[in-house]
Amino acid sequence: MVAAKKTKKTHESINNRLALVVKSGKYTLGYKTVLRTLRTSKAKLIIISNNCPPLRKSEIEYYAMLAKVGVHHFNGNNVDLGTACGKYYRVSCLGIIDPGDSDIIKTLPGEQ
Amino acid sequence: MVKFLKPNKAVIVLQGRYAGRKAVIIRSFDEGTRDRPYGHCLVAGIAKYPKKVIRKDSAKKTAKKSRVKAFVKLVNYSHIMPTRYTLDVDLKDVVTLDTLQSRDKKVTAAKEVKARLEDRFKTGKNRWFFTKLRF
Repeated sequence: MVAAKKTKKTHESINNRLALVVKSGKYTLGYKTVLRTLRTSKAKLIIISNNCPPLRKSEIEYYAMLAKVGVHHFNGNNVDLGTACGKYYRVSCLGIIDPGDSDIIKTLPGEQ
Repeated sequence: MVKFLKPNKAVIVLQGRYAGRKAVIIRSFDEGTRDRPYGHCLVAGIAKYPKKVIRKDSAKKTAKKSRVKAFVKLVNYSHIMPTRYTLDVDLKDVVTLDTLQSRDKKVTAAKEVKARLEDRFKTGKNRWFFTKLRF
């Protein structure tokens, strides 16, 4: 049950942290590469958009459960997630390999 | 950040002739080899599942219904679905890389795997592994 509505402030801060990861860290975009990073245990955090097909979402969550990696459900669809990464295409799922200067790994999995 | 494609992990084969069959990882090659430059693993699985054994079956019928047909295969990681289950059957000495070089070596390895899997099925453990996946 959602305790409080996800405020605009935390959503913006996720976008800021994502922008910092894109600028300074390593990440992969897209379902195939996300599964590959999960299999090789390189991923530290997975972000899934809210309009990702439910079967694919469950599959990524299952892989992340096996790999003990956190999954964050992004508060926006794949268009928004692509924009948050600074790309001009849609991104349904992305995996963060190296957060760089960002503290997204420390702050995000605790929130959910 | 935990590696989970390790030996003894139960997986489901997704592509190929054995799609939908359950298998167990015997040896994994994360980096790939010269012939297969991608992550792959050597699996041994069930080609033909044992049938449902009920209480009123005679001993002869139970023996016939508990038969398992096994297969040995090298599969790409992207063609298997890992599960949370494991199967502790020691198949490392039976199934090695060179058993896949020739047809008769593969057949003898599959026969040995079949014997070990049938023993495990008869003990009643790992019930999930020996039930057919319905889809």
